[in-house]
Amino acid sequence: MRKNQNLGEYLQMQGVSRRGFLKFCSATASLMALPPSAVAQVAEALATARRPSVIWLSFQECTGCTESLTRSHAPTVESLIFDAISLDYHHTLQAAAGHGAEAAREAAMEENSGEYILVVDGSIPVGNPAYSTIAGISNLDMLKEAAEHCFAIVAVGTCAAFGGLPNAQPNPTGAVSVSEIVKDKPIINVSGCPPIPVVITGVLAHFLTFGTIPELDALGRPTAFFGQNIHDRCYRRPFYERGEFAETFDDEGARKGWCLYKLGCKGPTTYNACATLKWNQGTSFPIQAGHGCIGCSEPQFWDKGGFYDPLSAGQWGSRDALLGAAAAGAALGVGSALAARARKKRAMAEEEA
Amino acid sequence: MNTEPMSLQDFRGLLTNMCEGVSGRDLSDEDRVRRAKKAFAQKLNGHRAVDLDSCLHCGMCAEACHFYEATQDEKYAPVYKYRLLRRFYRREMSPMRWFYRPFTRDISGADLKEWQHLVYEACTGCGRCDMICPMGIKISAAIRVVRHGLAAAGYVPPEMRILRDEQRDQNTQFGVGAEKLKALVAEFSAQGIDVPLDRDQADVMLLTTAVEVLLFPDALAANARILNKAGADWTIRSDAFEAANVGIITGDDPTMDLAIKRIVDKAKACGVKTLLMPESGHAYQTMRWEAANEMGEPLTFDVVSMPEFISSAIAKGRLTLNKQSNGTSVTYHDPCRLSRKGGVTQQPRDVLAAMGLDVRETASTGRENYCCGGGCGEYVMCKGADLRQKAFEIKRRELDEAGADAVVTGCANCRMNLMIGADNSGWQMPITSLVETVAANLAD
Amino acid sequence: MENMTLLDFARGPGLQWALWIFTFGVVWRLVGAIFLLARKDLSKPRRHNSLVAGIGAVISRSAPAHAFEKKIRFQHVTGYAWHFALFISVLFFAPHILFFESVLGFGWPHLPNAIILLTGVIAIGVLVALLIRRATHPVQRFISNADDYISIFVVLVPLITGLLAFAHFGARYETLLAIHLLSVEVMLIWFPFGKLMHAVMTVPARFQAGTAFGRRGVKA
Repeated sequence: MRKNQNLGEYLQMQGVSRRGFLKFCSATASLMALPPSAVAQVAEALATARRPSVIWLSFQECTGCTESLTRSHAPTVESLIFDAISLDYHHTLQAAAGHGAEAAREAAMEENSGEYILVVDGSIPVGNPAYSTIAGISNLDMLKEAAEHCFAIVAVGTCAAFGGLPNAQPNPTGAVSVSEIVKDKPIINVSGCPPIPVVITGVLAHFLTFGTIPELDALGRPTAFFGQNIHDRCYRRPFYERGEFAETFDDEGARKGWCLYKLGCKGPTTYNACATLKWNQGTSFPIQAGHGCIGCSEPQFWDKGGFYDPLSAGQWGSRDALLGAAAAGAALGVGSALAARARKKRAMAEEEA
Repeated sequence: MNTEPMSLQDFRGLLTNMCEGVSGRDLSDEDRVRRAKKAFAQKLNGHRAVDLDSCLHCGMCAEACHFYEATQDEKYAPVYKYRLLRRFYRREMSPMRWFYRPFTRDISGADLKEWQHLVYEACTGCGRCDMICPMGIKISAAIRVVRHGLAAAGYVPPEMRILRDEQRDQNTQFGVGAEKLKALVAEFSAQGIDVPLDRDQADVMLLTTAVEVLLFPDALAANARILNKAGADWTIRSDAFEAANVGIITGDDPTMDLAIKRIVDKAKACGVKTLLMPESGHAYQTMRWEAANEMGEPLTFDVVSMPEFISSAIAKGRLTLNKQSNGTSVTYHDPCRLSRKGGVTQQPRDVLAAMGLDVRETASTGRENYCCGGGCGEYVMCKGADLRQKAFEIKRRELDEAGADAVVTGCANCRMNLMIGADNSGWQMPITSLVETVAANLAD
Repeated sequence: MENMTLLDFARGPGLQWALWIFTFGVVWRLVGAIFLLARKDLSKPRRHNSLVAGIGAVISRSAPAHAFEKKIRFQHVTGYAWHFALFISVLFFAPHILFFESVLGFGWPHLPNAIILLTGVIAIGVLVALLIRRATHPVQRFISNADDYISIFVVLVPLITGLLAFAHFGARYETLLAIHLLSVEVMLIWFPFGKLMHAVMTVPARFQAGTAFGRRGVKA
C-alpha cells in the first residue's frame, strides 16, 4: 500500500465492502464501550486515518502473544487491524531476515520518528544483557534506542508488562518489564499470558480512532478490558455464593460446573476480560473449560503460590517453625514461673510479727 | 459458775462492749504494702495463677453475691474484691509481668485501707460466686488471699483481732476455757447426761465451740446424748475442745495453725480414730479440708460432721429416730462451709427425712444456697451490721417462701446470725439446730 | 521479594509472624501460670474420680445452675449466640477451611455461604450488643479495662472486614482480602496478651474447679 494512502482507500482496494467496513467499525466501537452514535465517528476516523508505522520488538518471549493474535480462520477484526497498520518490523510475520530486516527497522524508525508505535512482547534481561540479543544487539539496548523516538509503547503480554515467566523466582536472567526500563514514554500494558487477541486489537483501534492512549488503571492496563475481575463476571459465580465447589477435577461438582475456588481459581484477584470476551472468537475460557483461572494477567502470577492452592490458603513458612515457637514459649513460661516460685519461697521463709 | 445459756441480747451486749475502745493497728503505709505483698506471694500458686489469668470481666459473679444483690453497688462485685491480688500478680508474678507492669497500678496503702471493708465486711467467704463463674474461677479463694494480705498488713478488724489474740494467747474465746466447759459438763451430769470428759484414750473425740457453750449448750448436750445412744467410745477434752478457728476467719495463718495443732496433737495423743465436729461450718472446713495441709501431713484420724455421723449410725442400725407423723415441715439452711465448701449436703436432709419431717427446699438450695450473711464470726464487727442485715433479708425471704414451719440449720454461727437478723426485723420464724432436733427424737 | 503487594505480605510474612507470636505467647502464658504449681492436697478426698470431675466441670460450667439462671439469662443467651455464630462463621466457611488446611494439614466439610452470611451478621450484631452492655451496665462498666475493649475490637474488625470481603464491597477484592487477613493477624498477635486467652484458659480453669470441688463431693 502506498504510504500516503488512507485506510479507507486501502480497504476498498482490498475488496472490503463498505458494509464489511462498517461492521468492523461497529465491533470496534462496542469493544471500546462507545455508544452506537459513535460508530459514525469511528468510521470517519478510520476511513481517513493514515496507517501508522508499528515496530514490533520481540524480546524474551515464547511468541505466544503473536500466536494468539494471528490464530484466526476467517477475516476477523484482528486481521483487519493488520491491514490498518503498517507493521514494519515483526520477527515472525515479516518476510525479510538478517541484515535486511534490521535495515528496514532502522529506516522505518527514522522515517516515522516521533510517530511510530512501539509494540514489545517478552521481558528484557538486565542481569546479563547478553542473555537475549537480536543481531548482536542486546534487548536492553534495542529497547532504549527504539523507545527514544516512538510515540507510545504497547507492552503486549505479561512478560513485557510485568516480567512474566522469565521474571518468576529465581529470575536467573534478571528479567524486567518494559516500564522498568522506559520511564519517559506512555506505556500501555496489555497483560495476559497471552492477552486475548481482541484486547490487543481493541487498544490499537482506540489509538487509530482517537489518536490517544486509552484510560489506564494503576498498573497501566486499559480499564476497558482490565477494569473488572474475572470473579465478578464469571458465570459460575452463583455456585461460589451458594458454596458449591468442585473438590477435584473429575468429581460430581466438576461435572456439574461448580465453582473452582477450591481448585485454586484466582478469579477474584485477576483483572481481565476472559469471562466476557472469552477466547477463540468467544468460544470459551479456562473456567468454562473446567480449569481455574491462573491469574495470568497479574504481576508475578507465577509466584503467588501454586495454581492449585486456593486464594484463602496462607503462603507462609513452615510448621516446624511453630513447634520452635511453642518450645520457646514453654521455656519462657517455665523460667518465669521458677522465678516467681523463688519469690514465693523467699516470702514464706521470712517470718514477721 | 453460771451455766445458764446466755441470752441473745446479753451476747449482743457483750459484742458491743468489745467494739468500744478498740483501734486499728498503727503501721506505715510502706510497711503495710510490703507485708501485704509478702502474704500475696506466699499464697499464690498454680491454681490461683490460672484463675487470675482467666477472668472475662463478665460480671456474673456480682449476680451471685448477696451483698451486691442487696445494695446493687458494683464495688461489691466479687471480682473487684480480689482486684488487689490480680494487680500484684500481674505486676510481679505472672508469666507476662514484664509486659503488664507498665500498664498495671501498684498496690498502695490507700488501696489496702479501702479493701478492708470489701473483704471483711462485704464478703463472708460463702463461695456462691465460685458456683456461677463460667470460667470456674474460685473467686472466694482469691478473696481469701486478699484477706491474708490485709491481715499481714495489720488490717484485721479490731474486734476480730481481739478474738484472734485471745485464741492465740489464752486458748479461749469470749472467755470460754476449760473452767467453763467443766462447769457445763457438771451441769449436764446433774441432768443425767453423761459426758466422758478428759479421757486419755477414745475412738471418738467430740469438739464444741464457745458459742455453743455460751448460747446453745443444748446443742452440746444433744451431741452427747446422740453419741451415748449410738454407743460410741468417746470423749471431750477440756484442754482441746474449741473447734472454732479465728485464724482462718481473719486470714491469720499462725493462729490458725496453732489452734489446729492443739486439736491434732491431742487427738493423736488419745489415739482418736474419729474427730467429731460440732455444728460449725468453718470449723468443719478447717479440720476436714485444711488441717492436713497446714500440718504438712495426712491426719491420723477421720474428720466427721454430726450429720454424717448420725446418718451413718442410722444406716448401720446403731441409732434409731422417731418418725413424726404430724406433717411438720422444716426448711434446712445449708451452712456454706459445711455444704457448698464441705460436701455435706445430702446427709442433713436424710436425717431430717428419717424423722418423718417434710423437708421444703428454698429456691436457692444446696450448692447454690444463699449465705446467712454472717460469715462465721463476722458478727463481732460493729461495722457492716447494716450490710449483713440487708443480706439476711434476702435469706429470710427465701426461707419464708419455702413455706415451712421452722428453719433448721447445722451451724451455730448461722443459727446466731439468723437469730440476730430475726431480732432486728421482728421475724417470728422458729430457728432450730439439727442435732437438737435429732436429740429430741431419739428412739428408745 | 520485589513488588510484594499488601496481599502477598498478609498471606506470607504477616501470617508467619502472627502465627509465631500467637504460638509462642499462648504457650508462654499457659505454662507460666500452671507451672507455679501447688502443693498436693493432703486431706482425705471424699471422691477419687478427679479426672471425671475435672472434665465434667469443663462441660457443665457452660450451663449455669438453675438458681442463677434468671439473673444471668441475657448474658447466658448472648454468650451462646455469640460463640456459636462466631465458630460457625470461622470454621465452616469454605475459604476458611482451605486456610486451616494450609496451616494444619487437614480440612473438613463446609456449610452453604448463605448460612455463613447469616451467622456472620449475627456475630457482629451480638458482639456490638455485648459491647454496649459492657459500656453501660454498672458492674461491667466498673470492672472493665482497656483489655476488654481492645479484645472486642480486634475480633470485631475481622468479622466486619470478612463480610466486606465476602460482599466485594468497599475496595478492590485483593485489598479487602489483604485487610481481612491482616486484621486476623492483629487478633492472633493480641491473643496471648489479653483477654482472648480465655479461649485457652477455659479448660484448665474449669478443670481445676472440677477436681477441687469434686474431691470434696461437691459438683463444681
